Amino acid sequence: MNNAAVFTGELRSFLKFFLQELKPRGKWLTPFNVISIPTIILGLIILYFRFTEGLGSVTNLSQQFPFGFWIGFDVMTGVALAGGAYVICFVVYVMRLEKYHCIVKVTVLNGLLAYVFYSGALVLDLGRPWHIINPIIGNSFGYNSVLFLVSWHFLLYMIVLFVEFSPTIAEWAHWEKLRKFLTGLTLGAVIIGITLSILHQSGVGAMFLMAKPKIHPLWYSEYIPLLYFVSSIFAGLSMIIFEGSISHKVFSNLIGEKTHHSHDEIVLGLAKAAAITMFVYYFFLAFIFMHGDKWKFINTPWGYWYLVEVIGFVLIPCFMFAYAVRNRRLGVIRVAAAMAIFGVVLNRQNICLIAFNWYAENRYYPSWQEIVVTLMVVFVEIWVFRWIVTRMSVFSKE
Amino acid sequence: MEYYSYVNIFETKGLAYILLICFLVLGILLIKYLSAPEKKDSSAAERKPRT
Repeated sequence: MNNAAVFTGELRSFLKFFLQELKPRGKWLTPFNVISIPTIILGLIILYFRFTEGLGSVTNLSQQFPFGFWIGFDVMTGVALAGGAYVICFVVYVMRLEKYHCIVKVTVLNGLLAYVFYSGALVLDLGRPWHIINPIIGNSFGYNSVLFLVSWHFLLYMIVLFVEFSPTIAEWAHWEKLRKFLTGLTLGAVIIGITLSILHQSGVGAMFLMAKPKIHPLWYSEYIPLLYFVSSIFAGLSMIIFEGSISHKVFSNLIGEKTHHSHDEIVLGLAKAAAITMFVYYFFLAFIFMHGDKWKFINTPWGYWYLVEVIGFVLIPCFMFAYAVRNRRLGVIRVAAAMAIFGVVLNRQNICLIAFNWYAENRYYPSWQEIVVTLMVVFVEIWVFRWIVTRMSVFSKE
Repeated sequence: MEYYSYVNIFETKGLAYILLICFLVLGILLIKYLSAPEKKDSSAAERKPRT
């Protein structure tokens, strides 16, 4: 009885604190708010029609093109770009490179939000969204399906990322005992998280193995899982550089002086890793191209498009990273990171949409509603990220 | 009299092996390039106040 009373009192005081924290801080009339608020409202209206009238009312999806912009951008690309979380955790907790410790929390938060929002966007894309729970509760699923592995991994990895980030939440809520307990779980969570990530990053690619006749031969290969995994490493690293550079300016008042000074060294280190990974990725692409004897496709419009992706957004950013690391050119690193991110987006769109059913006369183009809803998901994620970093100690105060 | 018959490098996948060796060499060069002492930041030097 006494314990129950203490718990109720604790819960009440936390709810009061939480409601207090929900109140907005800072200026309302900012360029980001002016763009994002109408987009979010419009997106919610479109979602109302999507759930009441069905997918066909707002999307251009069909039986021939079941994977649209929502899957292609949110799930395929979002998950790859969230790869930075497992890469940084591996670097800090396994390789013990303490230099990067100050960016662990913010990277894990980015990963957590990306998974929650982008894989959560699957709910929008499923014709019968209430069936999303089927693989988890054991209702009508195939044990040997890749999607079974991917769905379980997404769920488990979201839990792992939450456990990794939970000490920061406990610290914010002033739960000191719980924070100590949760901090003790971090290393175990990191190891499970890395294992899960390697498997499901490649698992997302493995889903396309069954679509061999539908994907253009330049993009299809039996090594798609390996390519997806390797590209998720440099996609994650590029995303950390890109987001970190923006956060460094926007939230400069929240970042400690020591971290401010070490920012350049961290970016240079990440760029070096990105250059090497992109080189390995390019080697895999070239080797698969040669081994698959795909020369006959290269002198076609599809071949030129393939070269744009592979040379323009893999090889050139790779050299840009290497040049910039050698000459300490942070501006070039940021441009290379943006190009690498665009390259991964393009690769996923090519496999999922553009080169999918490439022979079909009727092509799929995303409707404006699909684009608005995707922007809405991105903006809501940024809003939640901003709310968390301005309230919890996410950035290193040192 | 014996005649030489040349094999098709595409059919034998010989090109793939040559590519593998090229990438191995280029990979070593890239790591050496990245591991070399960094050049001084020229823009930072320019920003230094004159005394």
